[in-house]
Amino acid sequence: MTNIAGRDDEGLRVAANHPPEGPRDNTGDQHATEDQRTVASTEQGGNGPHEQPELPPRSRGVIALLEANCTVCMLCARECPDWCIHIASHTETEQPPGAARPRKRNVLDRFAIDYGHCLYCGICIEVCPFDALHWAPDFGYPGTGSPDGDGAVAELVHERDRLGQWVADVPPPPPLDPAAEPAPEKAPRGLRPAR
Amino acid sequence: MAAVTRQETVGVGAGAEHLGVDRVIDLGPLHPSAHGAYRLRLTLEGPAEAPVIAAAEPLVGHLHRGAEKLFEVRDYRQVLALANRHDWLAAFCNEVAVATAVERMTGMEVPPRAVWLRALLCELNRMLAHLVFLAPLTRALVGEPTAGTTAAQRGREVVQEVMEEASGGRIHFMFSRIGGLREDVPAGWTERATHALSTVESLLPVIRKSTVDDEGFRRRHRGVGVLGADDAITLGVTGPAARASGVDLDLRRDDPTPAYAELDVRPVLRAEGDALARVQCLLGEVEQSVRLSRECLRRLPSGPVNVRLPKSVKAPEGSVYTWTEAPLGIAGVHLSSRGEKTPWRLKLRTASFNNVQALARLLPGTAVADLPAVLGSFALVVGDIDK
Repeated sequence: MTNIAGRDDEGLRVAANHPPEGPRDNTGDQHATEDQRTVASTEQGGNGPHEQPELPPRSRGVIALLEANCTVCMLCARECPDWCIHIASHTETEQPPGAARPRKRNVLDRFAIDYGHCLYCGICIEVCPFDALHWAPDFGYPGTGSPDGDGAVAELVHERDRLGQWVADVPPPPPLDPAAEPAPEKAPRGLRPAR
Repeated sequence: MAAVTRQETVGVGAGAEHLGVDRVIDLGPLHPSAHGAYRLRLTLEGPAEAPVIAAAEPLVGHLHRGAEKLFEVRDYRQVLALANRHDWLAAFCNEVAVATAVERMTGMEVPPRAVWLRALLCELNRMLAHLVFLAPLTRALVGEPTAGTTAAQRGREVVQEVMEEASGGRIHFMFSRIGGLREDVPAGWTERATHALSTVESLLPVIRKSTVDDEGFRRRHRGVGVLGADDAITLGVTGPAARASGVDLDLRRDDPTPAYAELDVRPVLRAEGDALARVQCLLGEVEQSVRLSRECLRRLPSGPVNVRLPKSVKAPEGSVYTWTEAPLGIAGVHLSSRGEKTPWRLKLRTASFNNVQALARLLPGTAVADLPAVLGSFALVVGDIDK
């Protein structure tokens, strides 16, 4: 799967609290149809601790890893303010048919995030040049225990398999305010901001 | 019989019983000052059943995490992720304070839309912080919640929801960047923010009724824990605690950013300086923040919210001091740079650190029975004291 969350993505499933509907091309589209922003109506009362609250798409719950996009560039691990991302990799040499020389390719061996250290600042997601990391709004993930506190802080280091499962919960980004500048991915080439 | 003097340590908050203190002052569930558990060393006199405080000394440092040292090994974006943490109720205001320091040193121009959105989000943050402090005060004497408690908690929730929708965070917003904001607000956010403001406005009378308009509350808070204006100035007390004592200082009016300069900021002042006046100031400031936020929403210009940054942001050699009006007082940032991508020194002047000293001046003469009222009215964030 090489789709990037929220970009003309028919292949991407959305979180359970987002009803499947309409065109999903929401990336900063100023004329996007009325859709998933029924979610965080400000009118709802306080959700009890046992109910699953409806969360806005930008909610920083957990970090999902879209492994197919990861080139093992290590930028996320380097930019993390408290170094909670653990990456291990090795290089493989391939001989593509018809190519003059063998090619080297980075292969990811381990990608883990220690949520016991994570500050939920989102810098890793911001610096990723290939959109391999995304916020998913889940917060009841393993290691935080039940709402009653059972099993809390059991295991807060989550490996690539668990991080990969959260990709299914990544919502498309919300359309931007009409007075805003178009989202960077919508801006014409040459005017896109540097990463 | 000669007056008996004895010493006692007092811990604030139910968790303080684990700190080995002689007495625990419980400020009720979820009082922000009780997180991190600060302690006081009191000298008491008078009869054992009705002791009166003769001297008080705040014992701080329990929550020291070395924030200023941590800043020195982080680039400016990483600094923001930490700078919004020492005062967890003023996260956005502190992000802006640090970002402003870097922008001033590099001579960066922040786009107008970002300037106005920052002012708006600062006011929402102020509302959030004050409502969090007001919520435990609305409880009746024995601790059971009143209509005001529900109203304060609901007010906090609606403000927190719009902050979360824009930034993705509920406490540590991490929405500021050097040169502006991380991204623009989502479509429909301004309407939902307007709606949240109306909700807070409609809840305020209910909160008032359980606090400053309640006869029992007024009786418990009037005339206790008085801080004089001179003492407030001498000790560097700022924010609503100082304005309750008549110190007419509010940086939103006295050293405004471009957006605040166009807003009509009228500092909420009282002269009494007692516990009641401090609560009245908190309420008055929520009201003012609703008004200022509305004005920000009305005047919000269109355009970009950030600037194109170089690959690594470096503040040029030199130093700068910037300050901003955080919910609890002046939050200052002294940034000294040697031209690298990390600060050479980033010194914080935090509101609660200066304000907590005032307890040594305002507590003597207070009966121990009045301590919950006095400490509950004196808003502090322990992380902001200890850094």
